[in-house]
Amino acid sequence: MSVACFSLSRCGAVVSRASVGMVAARCAQTAAAPAAQPRIKKFQIYRWDPDTAGDKPRMQTFELDLNMCGPMVLDALIKIKNEMDSTLTFRRSCREGICGSCAMNINGGNTLACLNKIDTDTSKVTKIYPLPHMYVVKDLVPDMSNFYAQYKSIEPYLKKKDESQQGKKQYLQTVEDRQKLDGLYECILCACCSTSCPSYWWNGDKYLGPAVLMQAYRWMIDSRDDFTEERLSKLQDPFSLYRCHTILNCTKTCPKGLNPAKAIAEIKKMMATYKERGAMA
Amino acid sequence: MSECACALKCFRVNLVTLVVVRCIMATLVRISSICHKGVKPLFLRSSLLLRPVVAQKKVQDHVPLLTADIHASPSHYAVAGSKAASRHWTGERLLSVMLLGMLPTAYMFPGPIMDYSLAAALTLHGHWGLGQVVTDYVHGDFKVKVASGGLLALSAVTFAGLCYFNYHDVGICKAVAMLWSM
Repeated sequence: MSVACFSLSRCGAVVSRASVGMVAARCAQTAAAPAAQPRIKKFQIYRWDPDTAGDKPRMQTFELDLNMCGPMVLDALIKIKNEMDSTLTFRRSCREGICGSCAMNINGGNTLACLNKIDTDTSKVTKIYPLPHMYVVKDLVPDMSNFYAQYKSIEPYLKKKDESQQGKKQYLQTVEDRQKLDGLYECILCACCSTSCPSYWWNGDKYLGPAVLMQAYRWMIDSRDDFTEERLSKLQDPFSLYRCHTILNCTKTCPKGLNPAKAIAEIKKMMATYKERGAMA
Repeated sequence: MSECACALKCFRVNLVTLVVVRCIMATLVRISSICHKGVKPLFLRSSLLLRPVVAQKKVQDHVPLLTADIHASPSHYAVAGSKAASRHWTGERLLSVMLLGMLPTAYMFPGPIMDYSLAAALTLHGHWGLGQVVTDYVHGDFKVKVASGGLLALSAVTFAGLCYFNYHDVGICKAVAMLWSM
C-alpha cells in the first residue's frame, strides 16, 4: 500500500511538470502550423456498436493533420473523438503509461496508445484494433472480466500464517529481498502481454496468462509472504501455468519493458523443486 | 369534515409510499442476498458490467463466458496435493536433455542398445510433445478423449515399428549413417 501511495504522489509531480511541457509544445506546434505543409495521416480504427441492431464490426478511416495533433496515438484518438466522431469509444485515463487503460492493438502490436508514437510516415495507414481475442464491449473497449477474475484467483496480496501480529508493526524486508520485486511490481495489468499470447488466445479460460502469472510469482518470492508452497501447488494442473510454451510474445510486447516470460520460467523452476509442507491438506 | 378527509388522504398516500418503498427494499435485499449466497463470480459476469441494453443484446448475440468458464479458482483444476503436472514438466526437460546427450553417443557407439533406447526416447519425446499440442488445440471432453486415444495408438505403432526395424533390419544408428553414405 505504501508503495502505491508513494508512486501516486510521484505521479502527481510528474503530471504537473509534464503538462507544463505539453502546453509549451502545443503552443510551438500551433505557432509553426501555418507555415508547415499539412501532413495528412490515415488512421483505420475498428468500430463496432452493440447498441445498433445488426451492426457488424468494420474499419473506419479517419484523416488527421499531424501538424495539428499531439505526438502519440492516444492524442490522435482524442482528437478524432473531440473533433470528428464523438461516438468513437476507447478507454483512457492517465495518458502517461501508468494506468494501463488505453491498451490496444496498434499496427499489429499490443501497446498503450499513450506511449506509442504516431508513425510519421504519412504513406502508411495506422491500424488500431482492440486487444486481440477478447470479447469487445464497444469499438476499442475489450471486456476484461475474465482477466480480472484470474488476477483475483491468485490472491494478489500478502498472506501470513500467523495473523496475531497484524497491524502491530511493519513487516520488514532486507534490501536484497526488496530488490527481487523490482521488474515485477511495476506491472500495471494493461493485459497487453496476456492478449498477445497464443496460448492465452486458445485457452484463456483456464490458462492464467503472463500478466497474472507474473503477479503470482511476485507474491511467491515476497520474503514477507508465508504461502509460497500453497501458491505453487495451486498451479499444479496442465492449464494454469503449463500452457506457457515460452513463445515470448509477452516480453516483446510489454509497454513497460517488463519480462513476464522470465517470471513464468522461474515459477516452472520453483514448481519442479518446491517441497510440500506438512500444513498442506 | 373536509379537514378530516384531507388528513385521511394524506395518510393513505403516506401508506402507499411506505408500501412501495418497503417492496423496493425487500427486492433489493433479496437480490443482494442471492448475490451473496450464489456463486461468487456472478459479480464478474461480463454482462453485469455493461448497461442493461447492451447486456441484453450481448446475451442474445453470443453466449458470454459462463461463470464456470471463468478461472476463479485454479485449485478447481489442480488435484489437491498432487505434483503430477510439475513432474510431467520435469520429465519432459530431463528427456530432452538426455536426448541431446544420446544423439552424439549413438554416433560414436552405434549398436543394438543405442538403437532400442533411441527408439524409446524418440517415441516418448514425440508422444509428450504431440500431447501438448492436443492439450493446446483440442477442446471438449469427447474430442480430447478421441485425440489422446489416437495419439497413444500412433505412438504405440511408432515404437513397435522402430523396434521391428531394429530387430529385422539394420537399426536406427546404422540407418542414419547410411543416409550420409548415399
